[in-house]
Amino acid sequence: MLHTDPQSFLPAVLSGASSAATLCLSLLATYAFWLGVMRLWEDSGITRMISKLLKPIVGRLFKLQNEESKRAVAMNVAANLLGLGGAATPFGIKAAKLLEEEENERYSSSMLFALNATSLQLIPTSIVAMRAALGCPSPASVILPILLSSACSAVCSILLVRLFIRPTTVPKKASEKRGIGVRQTVGDKFFRRQPNARKAGKTGRREAGRI
Amino acid sequence: MSDALLKFFASLIPVIFLLSILFALVRKVRVYDSFTEGAKGAIPLITSLFPYVATVMMLTKALQTSGLEDKLIEWITPLFRFLHVPSEIAELVFVKPLSGSGATAMLADIIEKYGVDSYIGRCACVVAGSSETVFYIGAVYFAERKKPRLRAALVIALLSYLLSVVISCLLCSIL
Repeated sequence: MLHTDPQSFLPAVLSGASSAATLCLSLLATYAFWLGVMRLWEDSGITRMISKLLKPIVGRLFKLQNEESKRAVAMNVAANLLGLGGAATPFGIKAAKLLEEEENERYSSSMLFALNATSLQLIPTSIVAMRAALGCPSPASVILPILLSSACSAVCSILLVRLFIRPTTVPKKASEKRGIGVRQTVGDKFFRRQPNARKAGKTGRREAGRI
Repeated sequence: MSDALLKFFASLIPVIFLLSILFALVRKVRVYDSFTEGAKGAIPLITSLFPYVATVMMLTKALQTSGLEDKLIEWITPLFRFLHVPSEIAELVFVKPLSGSGATAMLADIIEKYGVDSYIGRCACVVAGSSETVFYIGAVYFAERKKPRLRAALVIALLSYLLSVVISCLLCSIL
């Protein structure tokens, strides 16, 4: 660009900024609605019910201790599955903030990000609606491939996060007693990281390294 | 059948809204107070989001106008050919993680050019439907955090995105 058309740089960047401003305005409207609904759900106990339903999965997948962050993550997952993107985002932001205080902060927030980035939803409403609007005779025909491919990418990200970003599963004290506290992941081997190498003791490390 | 389906989805949000108000009334929650209290949170949320969203979009725009994007697409095309991703949707694949509205516009273009039910049109739909605007989500979700530490997760998300693109095109040629 520098030698072809340097004058177009600033206008282009500014147009990016101004579309960000308009986007944020429309997001302000969306969030005002969804945050209101979200508060309503929290006050009337719907959030608690849904998170109770999803707790087994969320607890396992994200390795969370704190009740409140479990609830936020569960609501984020539920809203994503239902395709309520507007509702998923505020819950996700809240969850991301709460996860910062968790023990497995890096693992759980990576999982949150990876899952949200795969757009796993039961019905891809916006695409189906768009196809219908463009006069397609069978707008719903893409639902199955979309579902399959987003499921594949979701599984892939879950596996990769599990593989490369180590969750410290068991509460530390109990695991140290049993001598299995250090779990070396493929990622650790790959990057030649030694997790808690000094603490673990030599035998434990050697065994772990051989897996 | 699909009309009924679409109607069902269109009515999903209002129905959920009504049901949640009814449920709140049954639970004796003060609906108006609670709703406004929640909506109040939108303004600080947006103020904290804006700088990050603006930066991502400015960078995207700069990437597009500088022609760097076309170069990158050129470089990446052999890889796509190897993975059996049609080159017509390469640009869409490239833009989708960066900008949702850009991807939507591009998808409409592709559909108009090649037809909704052509192989390429279907590929484009499935690719767009099975992915998210990765960078935007990263910017928004982790705007309020002190140290995001997301580099590894970003790589993972992009890898899974690539996988979903390949699988999408594969599925479109089978189904």
